[in-house]
Amino acid sequence: MPGADKETDLTERIEAFLADLKRGGSGTGPLRGSGEMARETTYLLRRITAQARWSSAGDLMEIIRNEGRRMTAAQPSETTVGNMVRRVLKIIREEYARSRGSSEETEQQESLHKLLTAGELSEENFRQHFVHLKANVIEAINELLTELDGTTDNIAMQALEHIHSNEVIMTVGRSRTVEAFLKDAARKRKFHVIVAECAPFCQGHEMATGLSKVGIETTVIADAAIFAVMSRVNKVIIGTQTVLANGGLRAVNGTHSVALAARHHSTPLIICAPMFKLSPQFPNEEDTFHKFVSPHEVLPFTAGSTLIENLFQCFILLRLFTKVSVTPEVINALSV
Amino acid sequence: MSSRGGKQKKGNVTSEQEEEEQPLQAVLVADSFNRRFFPISKDQPRALLPLGNVAMIDYTLEFLTSTGVQETFVFCCWMSNKIKDHLLKSKWCRPTSPNVVHIITSDLYRSLGDVLRDVDAKNLVRNDFILVYGDVVSNIDVSQALQEHRHRRKVDKNISVMTMVFKESSPGHKTRCEEDDVIVAMDSKSKRVLHYQKTQGLKKLQFPMNIFQHGSDEFEIRHDLLDCHISICSPQVAELFTDNFDYQTRNDFVRGILVNEEILGNQIHLYVTQDGYGARVSNLQMYDSVSLDMVRRWVYPLTPEANFTDQQGQGCTHSRHNVYRGAEVSLGHGSQMEENVLIGRDTSIGANCHISNSVIGNNCTIGDNVVLDRAHMWNNVHVSSNVEIHQSVVCDGAVVKEAVRLNKQCVLAYNVVIGPNLSLPEGTVVSMHHPEEEEEDDDDEFLSDDQEVGHSKDKTRQKAFNPAEVGPEGKGYIWKASMNDTEDEELAQCLWGLVLNPDPESDSESEASEESQDRSRSVSPEIDDVNAFQLEVLGTLQRGLEENIVCDNLVLEINSLKYAYNITLKEVMQILTRVVLEYPFQQQGTQLTTLQYTGSLLPLLKTWSPVFKNYIKRAQDHLDCLSAVEELFLEQDTHQTAMVKVLMKMYQLEILEEEAILKWFSTGATNDKSRQLRKNQGLQKFIQWLKEAEDESSEEGE
Repeated sequence: MPGADKETDLTERIEAFLADLKRGGSGTGPLRGSGEMARETTYLLRRITAQARWSSAGDLMEIIRNEGRRMTAAQPSETTVGNMVRRVLKIIREEYARSRGSSEETEQQESLHKLLTAGELSEENFRQHFVHLKANVIEAINELLTELDGTTDNIAMQALEHIHSNEVIMTVGRSRTVEAFLKDAARKRKFHVIVAECAPFCQGHEMATGLSKVGIETTVIADAAIFAVMSRVNKVIIGTQTVLANGGLRAVNGTHSVALAARHHSTPLIICAPMFKLSPQFPNEEDTFHKFVSPHEVLPFTAGSTLIENLFQCFILLRLFTKVSVTPEVINALSV
Repeated sequence: MSSRGGKQKKGNVTSEQEEEEQPLQAVLVADSFNRRFFPISKDQPRALLPLGNVAMIDYTLEFLTSTGVQETFVFCCWMSNKIKDHLLKSKWCRPTSPNVVHIITSDLYRSLGDVLRDVDAKNLVRNDFILVYGDVVSNIDVSQALQEHRHRRKVDKNISVMTMVFKESSPGHKTRCEEDDVIVAMDSKSKRVLHYQKTQGLKKLQFPMNIFQHGSDEFEIRHDLLDCHISICSPQVAELFTDNFDYQTRNDFVRGILVNEEILGNQIHLYVTQDGYGARVSNLQMYDSVSLDMVRRWVYPLTPEANFTDQQGQGCTHSRHNVYRGAEVSLGHGSQMEENVLIGRDTSIGANCHISNSVIGNNCTIGDNVVLDRAHMWNNVHVSSNVEIHQSVVCDGAVVKEAVRLNKQCVLAYNVVIGPNLSLPEGTVVSMHHPEEEEEDDDDEFLSDDQEVGHSKDKTRQKAFNPAEVGPEGKGYIWKASMNDTEDEELAQCLWGLVLNPDPESDSESEASEESQDRSRSVSPEIDDVNAFQLEVLGTLQRGLEENIVCDNLVLEINSLKYAYNITLKEVMQILTRVVLEYPFQQQGTQLTTLQYTGSLLPLLKTWSPVFKNYIKRAQDHLDCLSAVEELFLEQDTHQTAMVKVLMKMYQLEILEEEAILKWFSTGATNDKSRQLRKNQGLQKFIQWLKEAEDESSEEGE
């Protein structure tokens, strides 16, 4: 039974992916970049499209929706996963519409009035069977994948527009996108980068090493020095985990202070974020957006003997990401 | 399914070495083989007790799966049906699980040793495997330890049999179990364990000198290690357990390997991790600390909100100060969840409650004005208003009526009802099972659950509850903490893992007799074992004399004693010599004259000469025997003249050879006293005589 075999293979892969998400990279920081996460999710979704049993777009969407729900529930802090699921759902809808013959324009140009009066047109519309739908959808997902591969480069290409010679630029922690962005600019311009180390994981160190390797003048500062140094900085360029629907960010711990300092000194703040980081989510509840990891980085377990335990009463919470209430007025430019 | 996946992988990477490809296996022992959690564990096996609302065995399985274990053998004994049911329902037994779980049940397992012997008998493991208990909570990534282990085995041809995983934590750390406290001497470079000793109850620690003479120049003696009870074992471990049927626990095994290191050539290594968390819930004290550690996210990513067991409706949200709330939790007006609180699904909490450092299960109801601190409530618990609970465990279905106060370290077992208006003193244990029932049930403890329950219900009806103890509406029996027979004493200290009678003398002594087995070789430190052994030998000889037992049988008995007390051959001989020589004093008092002494001793020597001959074979043995004789006579200096006669007799009986005696005489003198001894006239003459005899014989030979 090759069919059944395929199916079990598929579920196995999904389970492995879910378990991976749950383990969330053992807590010492985001091990995989969101770019990689987005690609992996898309690969998996393509596999589902190719191997799952479905006869119409409606079925497929149902399957992907269900799996997507499980994936997002497994690690709610990885918004990229949810974004990619939504993206693939949109692809299916588009491909279905194209197969049915209706051009994209008419679909998009439906007036509000039409939408209101049309009633329940959505679900049963996807029940028609098309022979080439599968191939088309997979083709479209492949396009998405190539697009994902190119995002960092696309952002980096804009670097020269933002970075000028002899500027002092501050960044915080490590972001692959920002790294590529700065490196791209360094090919033509000379500038100075100040990296806030982003304790306790200190990914800033890694970032600084990476930058200095290509000959960028780099300085690492402690997080506490951000405000003091900010007056000398011409531009702040940071990455983010997610861009929320209200324009706020969910970024690595320490970004908030950088943003506030930048605002105080009226320093431009540029966020480098690829498309798949734009999330439709709203920061509703204060705490749900934080990702807490083990307190081990701040207070070694060994030190947790009675005395210290009583002193600290374990107020040691490690936030990997803080929601930054950086509203659009604080953000000056968003490279997408 | 994953076995199929494994095969596929094999096909792809055939170029890689065979060893690497085999799926990683684990042996999970879902039984504690002790009664630490009694009477809670009477209704539920320990592995299924909830920790942070998830059964402990799930933590262990998740740990194994996340380290890449592909095949796990779960061994169950006590209440194996329940464990089996639980596992079959869990995600581990789904066909898509990357970790294939095999459940093996038998009522015959009585110890870890039995399990591993069965592993060997069934030939389950083919390669290195991970050995854990079903109550280990950990997030340690053992893959590095595993790599080191494999590397060592490749380099040194299977010498290393086990790698134990330890976590660094300072002495006195809350998560360090008093009972498991160990001190380890290790070689810093090779990470080899040289000495391993439990420290519980010991005031003095002794290290045999020979561990420092192994050639390596860096040693560490560490007391900052928390035993995670995770060990990476070679397949030989199972075989070694089979070979040594007296190994019961891992402790026995480790000691056995270390003591016999020179003979068998096996070594044990250790792996110390700084990050990662690993602890075994071995008693309620540990339960309390591990539960709190879990809520404080030390075991990340195994946190309550991760819902790693994939159970429907188990998810919860996490917010500041480590407050976790499940679905449908209702919190009354003015109630505060201060910090480190986990509240299960469908639980409702009344008004003006203060909750801190507590775990509350599913479907609980809690009244108004309740104070909970370090309370561990399981599912379906009802707590009325004005209750205070401090550091206690409240099991499933228990009811706490109004105005009850549970002081520290109370335990309310399943379905107990307490109150109203009562304050339970510290350390009270209440259970629906009558304490006396326990002994009667002892034999049939492996009956199926249904029978057991019905059985105990009958009894419950027979005996009335004591309203003074459990309150006017209470149901349950108090388990007295201070009963005098040993098993109950054990129980008393075990539930919370605290030693209730910290009488240092008796404690250290009783421990010492158990613990000192591993102090190997060197003569002086082994007072307790050696003393005990000496007494036993004396008893054996006495009996032998009275009942005219054949010497062969005596030898047999002494041999078995030797194993029981873990005595080396050298010591056996010294002790034997000593016992025999002291025998007349033992029997007739110390006031004997030398003449009387020799008179009674020499026939004894004749009777027991086969026993001596059995032990004295090599040249070294002779010397050891002689030095023992010497030692004794140095102590009994009034009888030194008897020494010659003893030596003479032993020579005549061919227990001792003349060469050995001569050698001993010429070289053995190490201090003034022994030199003095050698100047003894009789002895001089004896030696003279021996020399002449030798010359004669050699002349004859020519």
